[in-house]
Amino acid sequence: MPDMRFAPPNPLRIADRASGLNSLSVRSHNERLVLSLLLQNEATTRLEIGEKTGLSAQTISVIVRSLEQEGLVVRGEAQKGRVGPPTTPLMLNSEGAYSVGVSVGYRNTHIVVVDFIGNVQHQRVMPHKTADTFDAPEALALEIHQAIAGLSQSRQTRIAGVGLALPTPPIRSGPDHDVLHRYLEAELGLPVFVQNDITAAAGGESLFGTARQLQDFLFFYLGARLHGRLVLNHQIYNGNSPLSYDVGVLALERALPPGDAAAEKLWGQDHAWPSMGPQLATWQQACAESLVQLTQSLLQFIELKTVVLSSFVPADICAALCMLIRQEIPSVNAVVGRTSAAPKAVGAASLPFSSRFMVN
Amino acid sequence: MARTVLCFGDSNTHGQIPGRGPLERYRREQRWGGVLEGLLGPGWQIIEEGLSGRTTVHDDPIEGALKNGRTYLRPCLQSHTPLDLIIIMLGTNDLKRRFNMPPSEVAMGIGCLVHDIRELSPGPAGHDPEIMIVAPPPMLDDLREWESIFSGAQEKSRKLALEFEIMADSLEAHFFDAGTVCQCSPADGFHIDEAAHRQLGEALAQEVLAIGWADA
Repeated sequence: MPDMRFAPPNPLRIADRASGLNSLSVRSHNERLVLSLLLQNEATTRLEIGEKTGLSAQTISVIVRSLEQEGLVVRGEAQKGRVGPPTTPLMLNSEGAYSVGVSVGYRNTHIVVVDFIGNVQHQRVMPHKTADTFDAPEALALEIHQAIAGLSQSRQTRIAGVGLALPTPPIRSGPDHDVLHRYLEAELGLPVFVQNDITAAAGGESLFGTARQLQDFLFFYLGARLHGRLVLNHQIYNGNSPLSYDVGVLALERALPPGDAAAEKLWGQDHAWPSMGPQLATWQQACAESLVQLTQSLLQFIELKTVVLSSFVPADICAALCMLIRQEIPSVNAVVGRTSAAPKAVGAASLPFSSRFMVN
Repeated sequence: MARTVLCFGDSNTHGQIPGRGPLERYRREQRWGGVLEGLLGPGWQIIEEGLSGRTTVHDDPIEGALKNGRTYLRPCLQSHTPLDLIIIMLGTNDLKRRFNMPPSEVAMGIGCLVHDIRELSPGPAGHDPEIMIVAPPPMLDDLREWESIFSGAQEKSRKLALEFEIMADSLEAHFFDAGTVCQCSPADGFHIDEAAHRQLGEALAQEVLAIGWADA
């Protein structure tokens, strides 16, 4: 039997020094462990990584070095501690990877490009010709091509993939989810990751948003209807629940008098809604009651500290809803999501990162 | 509790002054080991084990068997145990014409030393110590009167960093490329001068701390 100590070295990572992102297959479990920690924290140290993963300092050293070479991770300035030696923080390089997120909603399809820490670099809205109908995969592919073309050449090589957030049950009229998935993958030459849109929005908030540091939180998405997701230990529970509540924007639209000019504005990207009749307050109260009931029913099972509300509706409306939750349930901190410009699309954009860089 | 670092190297760890005779040596505080000790502070003890002409694993047919890093390493480790960290900066002397070694074989020699350390486990409580492989800075083209001894080594020396890093990756050891912070002195083309010692010591202090030491 040969002495394996003196076989040629078998480097797992260093040999791949090509520019751009490493191929999918070489990302080891330990590398994903380290990247998961970096994606979940603004900055960490090799010591913290060791404490949280149980990996040896030397293993971490090798992994961090290869991630630095790949441009995914950068070192911060050494920080002098109150006690002990200074520590060198590690953080994600915001320009280390990019991702495209697409969400197909009830009225609009959103396209975003985000950087590695979730900053939106590009955002587009494609309104549907008819509500609840999506029939333009070619136009979508073109929009994505244009979004990618907006990045510099070197950044284009660092796109981790395309995330596609789709509703459950599927949109009434449009291509089958699998067909759309395969079409985009072939058309774009990038890996496409598909997820339920509400789950994606919760994932986006967990990775990039207000909930980044939170292990557990209850997530609500307020769109045409109200949807909820429970996130425990950074994992989204019950990923594809089709259950939703008819207290969303659709309910408000129905409540408005026929022909009310405000109805059209509800679905836009405006920072504020036009003034409406008493229907707004009634709707807001009903919506808040649903939020409170759903939160309270969960509180008997789980000690939840945080509720995150994500929505495209104007920030002041979301803030008012959060305040109503806090008033009814003082033990819970209700906050507005940070990805609110396009929560589902930003969530979709988190998918390529979580799929390619994180442990499941 | 003080942490102990063993610096296992050749003339550039010994602190031999470029272009001078083998007896002329920088003072401790000028040598990278001393710089490292100054920067790490009172919680750390630095042991310098730098021998001029030391190879990774070869008995030198001319300078003698004592230059073999491998045979000296084991008693050296046992003398100084427990060790928290062992920094190995060797390889330049393996590039002498008489050994006829490609850079990959020099890296294999470094790998031998790593295996030997882990076999002895001279770390605290019989554990493996941390090991950091440091690639020496590349030689300059003009080696003065040393040209005949090292003939052809210059180009090989530029490949050591990659070969050492591949070895460090494969064996899961810390790695630092000294060529990223300092270069050899033009006085002889392969020794480092006082400024380079300081640059190397400062960079290694950062690397040592970045390892992450609980309650250091």
